[in-house]
Amino acid sequence: MSLALDLRHEPVSGIPHGKMVMWAFLASEIMFFSGFFGAFTVLRNANIDIFMEGTTHLNVAMATINTVFLITSSLTMALSILNLEKKNTKMFQVFMGITILCAFGFLVVKYFEYSAKFEHHLLPSKSIFFAFYFMMTGFHAAHVIGGIIPMVWMFLRSFTKKGYTNHVRVEILGLYWHFVDLVWIFLFPALYLLFPGAHHGGH
Amino acid sequence: MAGSHDEAAIKKSYMKVFYLLMGFTALTILASQIDTFFATMFGHTGGTYVNMTVGLIIATIKVVLVMYIFMHLKFDNKYLRAFVYVPIFLFIVMVFALNVLETFNHP
Repeated sequence: MSLALDLRHEPVSGIPHGKMVMWAFLASEIMFFSGFFGAFTVLRNANIDIFMEGTTHLNVAMATINTVFLITSSLTMALSILNLEKKNTKMFQVFMGITILCAFGFLVVKYFEYSAKFEHHLLPSKSIFFAFYFMMTGFHAAHVIGGIIPMVWMFLRSFTKKGYTNHVRVEILGLYWHFVDLVWIFLFPALYLLFPGAHHGGH
Repeated sequence: MAGSHDEAAIKKSYMKVFYLLMGFTALTILASQIDTFFATMFGHTGGTYVNMTVGLIIATIKVVLVMYIFMHLKFDNKYLRAFVYVPIFLFIVMVFALNVLETFNHP
């Protein structure tokens, strides 16, 4: 008699295990970012002048370009899943390639944005606003990097002889990638735009 | 979801969501100027907190679009949907509640 546990349960819910786990992870991620947003709003309420002054240093144009990058990559990610499901490897590679390019584009813009802040000595220690700015955008950028790694792996694997056919895995990664887009949808207005009387110049 | 007809329909819905997301992004940027618009029109910034509220409503619509179409919640099992709705609902209520509070404190 074997003492090993057989953990290969059938998914009673009809949802693939990986997908369920990713949604559970994303639910916890929502709570992770909720902490930031909650603290952000409460402390902004208490330090409204510092926050309003802080926003004037942010670059709305760069953030808008990054929004376009993320929305485009969300679309191409969804299309790449659809194409892999239909066993159209060529189009999967095209759309996954565009997704990866957009993700890198986002990071390049972020790099320029951060270096401009550093140049003007706008560091997290400058004010509570910049502490939030770097924490929130920094964690978001870390999520982008976390998405790029499996994307590049799947993309490169699809060029090998064996190819890449596991569309369920790409779909699970897609869920994560769309989530990264969702966080930015809230971050963009919260940090860059929606401040009473904010002047949009920035560095 | 088999067959080329369905594929075309899905692609069409993806493109629709893409255009809507782009349009809403433009609207969000416009919404950030509502107070400036009020100031030039009426001489006082009556709409300062309107910016924030409109922006959050637009962000919520964008999130629902992405989750329903791109993340396939529309086609998913109702149990999964229920499981996902709870944290999303809590998050959106929290963001709104806190911003409404702020609106009263800094009109």
